Amino acid sequence: MFDTALTANDLVFLAKGAGMTLLVTASSVFFGTILGILFGVIRYQIGPWWATPMTLVLDVFRSIPLLIQLVLANAFITTVLGLRISGFAVACGVLSLYTAAYCAEIVRGGIEAVPQTLRRAARSLGMTWGQDMTYVVLPLATRVALPSWIGLALGVMKDSALVYIVQVVELLKSTQILITRLQEPLFLLMICGLFYFLISFPIARFGGYLEKRWSND
Amino acid sequence: MKTSVFAAGLLAATALALPAQADKLDDIIASGTLRCAVVLDFPPMGSRDASNNPVGFDVDYCNDLAAALGVTAEIVETTFPERIPSLMSGRVDIAVASTSDTLERAKTVGFTIPYYSFENAVVANEKIEMSTWEDMKGKVVGATAGTYEAIWLEGKVKEWGEGEFRPYQTQADVFLALSQGQLDATVATVEVSQANVKSGNYPGIKIVDKTPMVPDYVALITLREEYGLINYMNLFINQQVRTGRYNELYKKWVGDGEPASLIVEGVYR
Amino acid sequence: MFNYNFRWNQALSSLPQMLEGALVTIEIAVLSMAIGITVAILLTLFRLSGSRPLSAIATTWVEIARNTPALFQIYMVHFGLGGFGIHLSPYLSLLIGIAFNNAGYLTENFRGALKAIPETQTRAARSLGMSPIQAFQNVILPQMLRISFLPMTNQMVWAILMTSLGAVVAMNTDLYGVTSELNARTFRTFELFAIAAVIFYVITKAITLSARLLAARLFRY
Repeated sequence: MFDTALTANDLVFLAKGAGMTLLVTASSVFFGTILGILFGVIRYQIGPWWATPMTLVLDVFRSIPLLIQLVLANAFITTVLGLRISGFAVACGVLSLYTAAYCAEIVRGGIEAVPQTLRRAARSLGMTWGQDMTYVVLPLATRVALPSWIGLALGVMKDSALVYIVQVVELLKSTQILITRLQEPLFLLMICGLFYFLISFPIARFGGYLEKRWSND
Repeated sequence: MKTSVFAAGLLAATALALPAQADKLDDIIASGTLRCAVVLDFPPMGSRDASNNPVGFDVDYCNDLAAALGVTAEIVETTFPERIPSLMSGRVDIAVASTSDTLERAKTVGFTIPYYSFENAVVANEKIEMSTWEDMKGKVVGATAGTYEAIWLEGKVKEWGEGEFRPYQTQADVFLALSQGQLDATVATVEVSQANVKSGNYPGIKIVDKTPMVPDYVALITLREEYGLINYMNLFINQQVRTGRYNELYKKWVGDGEPASLIVEGVYR
Repeated sequence: MFNYNFRWNQALSSLPQMLEGALVTIEIAVLSMAIGITVAILLTLFRLSGSRPLSAIATTWVEIARNTPALFQIYMVHFGLGGFGIHLSPYLSLLIGIAFNNAGYLTENFRGALKAIPETQTRAARSLGMSPIQAFQNVILPQMLRISFLPMTNQMVWAILMTSLGAVVAMNTDLYGVTSELNARTFRTFELFAIAAVIFYVITKAITLSARLLAARLFRY
């Protein structure tokens, strides 16, 4: 049906780009979530007033375009500090902080959604703060936070397309490289878009399903 | 007793305070790898073959230089706007990327003597009526952001006061836009223009005229303060011409015609 | 440690150009939101109409917009449509790309907002003799917009941030494009982009703050 010059070799090349996208996404979401949970819990514990400096700093990551964050981090680390780091490391670092900034909010919202009465009951039963967090807050907060977190993870996957700016060859850049050689922009872009769609759509639907199931309607 | 301890301490301090001045040339030889920034959407200087491997004049040049230094070459793909930033950030040691030797850039990086020279031509969409470069006036033109041609073209568009200039991120995007008709014309080196027209990848483009720019000499670049490396590369380029390798690479990648003469007549060859 | 000569004055002298670029950025974001909201209301009506094909159009639009990268969408609008002979200037490509994205996300937000409005409202409006369109326009729409106000503000901030993607379609008059061009000439990457980052921060904070003030005035009760 399609008369194309695309070879199996090229599909492998695209697959490598896709693998890079997934790798960057997975690393960033992993580290970002850990940091996000940390920041979220800290922010909840010490209250909004004391946490203002941290909130302001995290807010910066949500108010500046990701492209600029990547370029700035790259320029700062490599040119100003003179450290030799791969583009991949810069990309993961910036995306992790970006994820953490959003995740902190999600985590905080999740913790706040746990009724205070339940938590006080747990403490009055003799649980330590740690036990309270692990056995009472964690399950309930996760229910509230998970759909938003899934949305965040998918958002990071889509934003991973921007890491081409620090010379990481991910899926969209690989597609552009092939377009240069093969001159079939529409066809190749369709494949690229299809990949993102096929990963994002089912997971997003699943997140929606979870949200419906766990809501209190 | 105290003076001798003091003297010994001073001696030790001076020994420690004089580190061996290893410059980039030493670093490259010691590390065993030469990292070159090469632009791969710029045939015949740099492009990818059917297995997506880097090939081209610049790629061969980098390999030659690495062989001369006794190290392995590592081709780091860069886009045109990224050549100098990647050098500044330490991602690459040198850039073998057809970098035009402008004075503005020389404030930031160190240039060698020219290793190639380009003439630039106007490439237009077939449907546009054009016969000379001045017919670009009032049209939608574009070029790759940050290149010599782009700066010249943008200056001309400002001077004419009409028409539109678009800086695309890669050479490939420029030619794609040109063949789609989104750009009426662009300015590119004669080699690239011919290679792209010949390849048939971009249907509907034609070469119109040469531009009145002075020959576009391109050189190898590295950090401004690396005099040792710059001197070495100067001699290397000279040797490439002397041994005939320059002509050989020209025949292999560009083909017909004579390569631009890089010889200073009666002075040095 | 800092083996780098900061040249701040060289970067600051380009501040007027960058501020002009910032105006273009705001302009694109505002226009894309206007188009996005209009289209989103339209798509919401499609969904409510109960007609299968219209619903399908709305769902397709929303799912594509929300499941593919914005960069991809903008690139598609310019080069994808270009393959069909439809030529859009970089400005239009960026605008339409962002508007497409906005419409998708806003339709989803509106759907969530509609769920919070009881059915009884529509029924009461209809029983008063209003036609479906009148009922929607006079009763449902204002409530829907009010509930979605915060998500719409977020989307506006997103639109501002998305304008930075214009570089791939040769957009050189918005803030990111101007900064990028200056960088290609002078290589003062850190200084230039740091200033651009500050300008973006100020713009987004200004939007969030004015939205909050607006909300306090509009939704006083």
